[in-house]
This record gives sequence, structure tokens and C-alpha cells, in this order.
Amino acid sequence: MSQLKDKLQELKKFQEDASIRIQTLGQFNLWRENQKVEAKQWGRDKTVQLLQYLISNRQRHALHRERIMEHLWEEGDDRDFKVALHGVNKVLEPNRPSRTDASFVIRQGVSYQLDLEKIWIDVEALEQYVIIGNEAFGEDVTISKAAYRSAIALYQGVYLPNRIFEDWSSEEREKTQILILGAYVILAEIILNENPLESIRLAQCAIAIDKTWEDAYRLQMQAYIIKGNRPQAIKTYQKCADVLEEEYGIDPLPATKNLLKEIESI
Amino acid sequence: MAKKADQTASFMVRFNQIIFEEDGESKVQWRGKVSHVQGGEDKSFTDFNDAVKFIQERLADLTLEATKDESPEEQESLLKKSFSLWKTVAKEGPKVIMETIKDPRKQVANLQDQISYFGEDLKDKVKIDEWRNASRSDFNLIKESLSQLTQEVQRLNTKVDAISKSQKKTLGAKTTKKTIAPKKK
Repeated sequence: MSQLKDKLQELKKFQEDASIRIQTLGQFNLWRENQKVEAKQWGRDKTVQLLQYLISNRQRHALHRERIMEHLWEEGDDRDFKVALHGVNKVLEPNRPSRTDASFVIRQGVSYQLDLEKIWIDVEALEQYVIIGNEAFGEDVTISKAAYRSAIALYQGVYLPNRIFEDWSSEEREKTQILILGAYVILAEIILNENPLESIRLAQCAIAIDKTWEDAYRLQMQAYIIKGNRPQAIKTYQKCADVLEEEYGIDPLPATKNLLKEIESI
Repeated sequence: MAKKADQTASFMVRFNQIIFEEDGESKVQWRGKVSHVQGGEDKSFTDFNDAVKFIQERLADLTLEATKDESPEEQESLLKKSFSLWKTVAKEGPKVIMETIKDPRKQVANLQDQISYFGEDLKDKVKIDEWRNASRSDFNLIKESLSQLTQEVQRLNTKVDAISKSQKKTLGAKTTKKTIAPKKK
């Protein structure tokens, strides 16, 4: 279990020490040696898009240039790609001597990938925190809570909100949403008795992402009962039933209905 | 000619599986959400046909937009062709899934059909027969395991019956006999 604790600390330390840090959740920002890179330093939008594309596909090792171009350029040629790549490298390491290899964007022939050991990216860190939270769940609740809290702290909004209409970004957006929904609900469940108010808040965050997430309504109902707020617990059930009827035309699950019965009998 | 980006529609489909108990019976429910990436709209569904309908509507819009400069006759003809493709998907898609659930070997057959559709070149590259063999042996292994399990359950049944009879004799009272039905192949 101390291994997971070490991993958690390593991740925190990496977030503090990395020379390049990138925020993709809620908005897009990049810090180089703790200095935020301003919009005008990026030059063309395609430079930003190329880096965002490499982030979105960071776990698919070595992306072929042709494939990148196919997604980012309608009718681009090699020159467009080179210009954009040069722009990315210039932002990441403006003082790199000419004719030396780029150290953040690894190149292998005509394939490219980001060096995740050198660049800290919020969305990557969020996934790692959720993995630690899941692994520690049921074994060491303190580590699990700390990991989920760290993941939640990083979630400042949807992944690359200014690219929601670009299909190359949608897979990552969906994946992150599912991860964070899980983190909200599991943490809300872990702290239900010790901090029901925080459980309610976390469940509300999950519902704000997906209003049909039934587990979150159930947790809210339980948390309200612990707080002694019976009317609000019943109201939450009604809200859940209304949303499920409106979206799917179905009733809540038996577990949710049974919880309502328990609450009504109090 | 419209730009490639205007001729592309991407969809993200989320399925959420919920397994629950109701009236002493295990049930499964699928809740889904389909989102149109370029347009930003989404639709929740429990019936996959609703998702297909949502996709079809977005694609029809795409065809209409791309052919807005054509004559009404030409536009109608293109739209009909566009619809006929998606009717096939709506009809064949769920069928393929159901067949795969019922018989995993069907999945290989369906894949083989699709590969043949693209011609001989692809057929050479994809070693579909190896997949088929692997599938069959896996399937046989499952069948053998099931058959062993059935025999075990039958043996267990005999033992339970024997215990039950001996209890009846000893106690001389009426007891309820519990039997475990052997699993069907």
C-alpha cells in the first residue's frame, strides 16, 4: 500500500516540478518554467491545435505524420505540418540550439509523440489519480480519498472546451467525463457518514455532468437523511424520477425506489 | 463540392449497463446517450433504434446541406439513396449484435462477409480462418466445461436425493425436497 502512497506523492511532486505544465480542462493554458505562455506567443491556431492533438492522442505511441495531417488539415501539405511543429517546439523550448533534437516532442522517423515523463498534463494526471484511487479503494481509504480529491481538484471543466466540435478531441473528453463521474460518486460514497454535506456537493457535481446519473441521486438522498433533511431527500427522488422519465421514459431502479420507501417510513 | 469537414459526421455513443434485482429476478438495463460531435446535440435512449434514428436525422441534414444547390429531383434522389444505406444499418446492425450474442462463431462469419465485400486483397491480409479456428476451439472448451458441470450437478443431485431419503426414513416426517436442476447445454 505504501507503493500507492509513493505514487501519489510522485505525481504531486511532478505537478510542482515539471518545467512544462499544461491545463486542458475548463480552458487551455501552458506554463513554461512556471511562466504562463501568452496567446500571442503561440502564433497560429494550427500550432495550438497540433499540440492539443498530440495531447489527445498521447497514449497512442508514435503518431504518423500523415494521420495527424489528415485530421488537422483539409488540404495541407508537409510544409504546413513543419510550420506547426516548429511552432510547438518553439513554445516548449524557445532556447533550443538549432540542429539539436527536440526534447518534449519525441520524433521517430515520421512519427511523433509527447514525452509524458517531462510534460505534466492535467488530464493525464487526473487519470493517474483515479487509477490510484481505484487501486487503493477497499484497502486504504485514506489514500483512496486523497487520490480522488486530487483528481477532482484538477477537473476545472470539460476537456478542451473550444474544440468540442472537433472529432479528434471527443474521445478524450468522453473518457475524462466518465473517469470524473466515477471519482465524484465513489468519493461521495466513501465520505457519506463523515461529511454528508460534501457528499451532497460531490453528487451534485456528477449530476451537473450527466443529469441521468442515478447513483448520484441515491447518494444525495442518503446524505440528506443523515443530515436529517427528509423533505429534501424526497425532493431529490422526485427530481431523479422526473429526469429519468423525461430522458428515457423509465422509472428509477428498485434500489432507488426502496430507498424512498425507507425514507418515507422514517 | 463541399469540403471534407462538411461531409463528415461523428457520433459518440455512451452505453451504461445497469444490472439489478427485481421481484427476485436478475435484470439488465442499458441506458445510452448518443452525441453528434460537430453539431453538439445529444439524445438519451434505452432502445437502440432511437439512437439510429437520431444518427439518421443528422446524416439526412448533412445530405440536404451538401446538395442544397442541386435540383429538387436530384436532391430527393440522393436523399433516398442516403436513407437506404442507413435503413440497412438500422436493420442489420442490431441483427449482427444479436447473432453474436447467440453464437460467437456468427461474428466471424459476419466479419468474413464484410471483408469479402471489400475484395480479395483484404481477404489475403486478414487471417480470418485463424480467428474462426480460435473461436471454435474456445467455443468447444466452453461446451466441454458446461457438460462437465452438468455431470457434476447430476452427481450432486443424486447425493442430495439420497440424503433426503435417509432423512425421511430417520425422522419419519415430511420434508421438503430441494433439487438443483441440471444446466441445459
